[in-house]
Amino acid sequence: MYQWSDEHNMLRQAMKDFIAKELVPIRDELEHGNLPPYGLLRKLFATFGMDEMASASFEKRIAYDKAIEAGEVEPSEPKRGEGMDPAFSLIPTIELCRQSPGLVTAMGVSVGLTASAINSKGTIAQRERWVPQLQTMEKIGAWAITEPNSGSDAFGSMLASARRDGDEYVLNGSKTFITNGPYADTIVFICKLDEGNDRKDRKVLSFVLDAGMDGLVQSKPLRKMGMHSSPTGELFLNDVRVGRDRLIGESEEVKKGGRDGAKSTFQQERSGVAAMSLGIIEECLDLSVAYAKDREQFGQRIGDFQLIQQKLAMMEVARMNVQNLVFRTIELAAANTAMTFAEACAMKLYSAQQATAVALEAVQLHGGNGYMAEYHVEQLARDAKVLQIYAGTDEIQTVAIAKDLLK
Amino acid sequence: MCRRAHVLGLDQVVKLSSTMHAMKVVVCVKQIPDPADPGALDPETRTLKRDVKLILDESDSYGVEMALQLVEAAGEGEVTLVSMAPNNERSGLATALAMGAASATLVSDPALVGTDALTTAKILAATIKDQGADLVIAGSESSDGYTGTVPEQIAAVLDLPSVTAAKSVEVDGSNILVKRQTDAGYDSIICPMPAVISVTAGVVEPRYPSFKGIMAAKSKPVEEKLAADLGFEEDQVGWSGSGQEIVEVAEAPTREAGDIIEDDGEAHVKIVEFLESLKVI
Ligand SMILES: Cc1cc2nc3c(=O)[nH]c(=O)nc-3n(C[C@H](O)[C@H](O)[C@H](O)COP(=O)(O)OP(=O)(O)OC[C@H]3O[C@@H](n4cnc5c(N)ncnc54)[C@H](O)[C@@H]3O)c2cc1C
Ligand SMILES: Cc1cc2nc3c(=O)[nH]c(=O)nc-3n(C[C@H](O)[C@H](O)[C@H](O)COP(=O)(O)OP(=O)(O)OC[C@H]3O[C@@H](n4cnc5c(N)ncnc54)[C@H](O)[C@@H]3O)c2cc1C
Repeated sequence: MYQWSDEHNMLRQAMKDFIAKELVPIRDELEHGNLPPYGLLRKLFATFGMDEMASASFEKRIAYDKAIEAGEVEPSEPKRGEGMDPAFSLIPTIELCRQSPGLVTAMGVSVGLTASAINSKGTIAQRERWVPQLQTMEKIGAWAITEPNSGSDAFGSMLASARRDGDEYVLNGSKTFITNGPYADTIVFICKLDEGNDRKDRKVLSFVLDAGMDGLVQSKPLRKMGMHSSPTGELFLNDVRVGRDRLIGESEEVKKGGRDGAKSTFQQERSGVAAMSLGIIEECLDLSVAYAKDREQFGQRIGDFQLIQQKLAMMEVARMNVQNLVFRTIELAAANTAMTFAEACAMKLYSAQQATAVALEAVQLHGGNGYMAEYHVEQLARDAKVLQIYAGTDEIQTVAIAKDLLK
Repeated sequence: MCRRAHVLGLDQVVKLSSTMHAMKVVVCVKQIPDPADPGALDPETRTLKRDVKLILDESDSYGVEMALQLVEAAGEGEVTLVSMAPNNERSGLATALAMGAASATLVSDPALVGTDALTTAKILAATIKDQGADLVIAGSESSDGYTGTVPEQIAAVLDLPSVTAAKSVEVDGSNILVKRQTDAGYDSIICPMPAVISVTAGVVEPRYPSFKGIMAAKSKPVEEKLAADLGFEEDQVGWSGSGQEIVEVAEAPTREAGDIIEDDGEAHVKIVEFLESLKVI
């Protein structure tokens, strides 16, 4: 049986204390002002030693990979239970999402997507050049695949291109909806190698760009429905020249034309969404129970009406199910295995739908107050909706699950 | 209480170049019912029921932090914990170990139920006695029992100098320099080590336990002791050993509603009259 341990509960409590003291007082500025989330995230990393731990484990891994490259050791599968307790990385996600899910979006894209994309497919030199600062949040990362005309069909309709020019590449294209785009120091840009061939046969390549490069423009944050504490923007590349040292892996011969790298990144994103959903659901449930006990109409507390009780019960069922999915990902990670791709899609689909449904029911239960920004459920309902859109829409997850069943 | 400590005038405080030496600091930490969910009084014994999960008393998190800072400043040494608690409770100790303390001694024994403050101090003193501490740190008062007597009693039992209400502590060779909070400001006190200090709440910012600290806490040693291991007979502790008894517990009086003065243009006169009647102006 999996349960939160005493250590996990201690970490959850410490996170709650930190969030109450450091995040809640500036939440309005993060959500409705112009305060970017990075200062607070860096403080979180430093306070809990997350930066130090990431650096230590990175150095260990790099030393090991160098030894393999030099032929000093045989590569071996990591042993069961080695490394950090996977729950430790999900607990901050859950606790932050109770207050400001946007912070997790910004953090997850920088540390989870961008750093991981370089770390898993880059050469040792590339990993040493970019990953350490990204993992500690000293530098902010963005991961850019979506384009104005290419979303769910990310690879099929991709227009962003790389052309060879001597020893260099010339990059062009527009990316949109890019988390951290406006402030990113380091950008993973995904595009197709234009060799004059048919677009659907072109290889997919990923390049690492630094802010300020000639021909690269990062837009201001876009206005959006929710996740206001996560800046989202556009990127424009106009003849950006890069050397081969910025091509991830320093080789055009990536497995399955580069689609594999992006796909493993998708899978990681999907387990993160379950933990985010759990945070949103837990907070909505707590706030709803408190409100149901406190608010009186028709001479009784609204919690005494069966229609309100039904809402609370539905929220509790969702909480239990999503928590069990989170526990499942922790158990699998601890055992060094993972869900199948279809299972990860099913988990993401279910969690995102439940988070949105619970948050909207929480608004309903709060009545007019629930629609007012003064009540926290209003923000959580706007934030939750995007979980059904990014990291693969509900429809795309559904298609993937069915495809796996019918294969 | 500071039998061997000297109260200095402010102008007499000179900063001596501190010589580094490994510091061994023992911190007394009480584990108490969560004040957010305190549970109930036992009507028979008129004491707090302690069968719920206990946590680190916030009052003692300041002592732990101060001890860690002193050891960090010394560059060498360690912080150890002592706690007396029912039901082999370790949760509060785990928090202090995750913050950075090296090890703990836990005195837990059914025979200790009903122990009063003085006997608590004797038990803690017996635990501390052979640890070779340079400094013993406790909170000024616990958040539940609240008598504010245990630290001085420990000092008396161990025959050590005691400084209360410390707001800052600095090591200077074989002495400590303490700023002791007073109504008017603070006293500057120089006191030889070893000594017992009680720390005022809020004077330092207790650190959050780090990821590494939380993971390491599990494998840090916690030695459990019974009263008999410390040389106490059964009738010297618990209800029978207590020199005090709680004879009555009463509800705190509810606050009375205040008088509301409507401002008809003359309200200031009424307010002045009211304040004069209280003799505050
Ligand atoms: C806040 C936010 C942050 C984001 N951050 C990033 C980022 O950091 N990096 C990045 O690259 N992208 C990012 N995105 C983009 C996101 O991944 C895409 O919006 C998402 O993949 C959907 O693509 P789209 O917007 O083009 O919608 P479309 O693909 O145009 O979809 C429109 C509708 O059609 C449906 N649909 C599409 N294809 C099918 C099909 N085959 N079967 C059935 N229905 C279908 C969709 O499910 C949807 O309902 C972000 C988006 C948001 C909102
Ligand atoms: C109203 C009342 C109810 C009580 N109910 C109970 C009860 O139900 N069960 C029971 O066992 N006792 C009970 N006691 C006794 C009381 O909890 C003990 O006397 C206690 O151990 C010491 O008193 P204090 O909490 O006032 O300590 P204080 O002198 O206020 O504490 C100051 C500091 O001394 C240290 N310290 C104190 N106690 C301990 C400890 N146990 N371990 C480690 N460090 C410590 C801490 O650093 C603390 O910050 C009660 C006392 C009172 C007055």
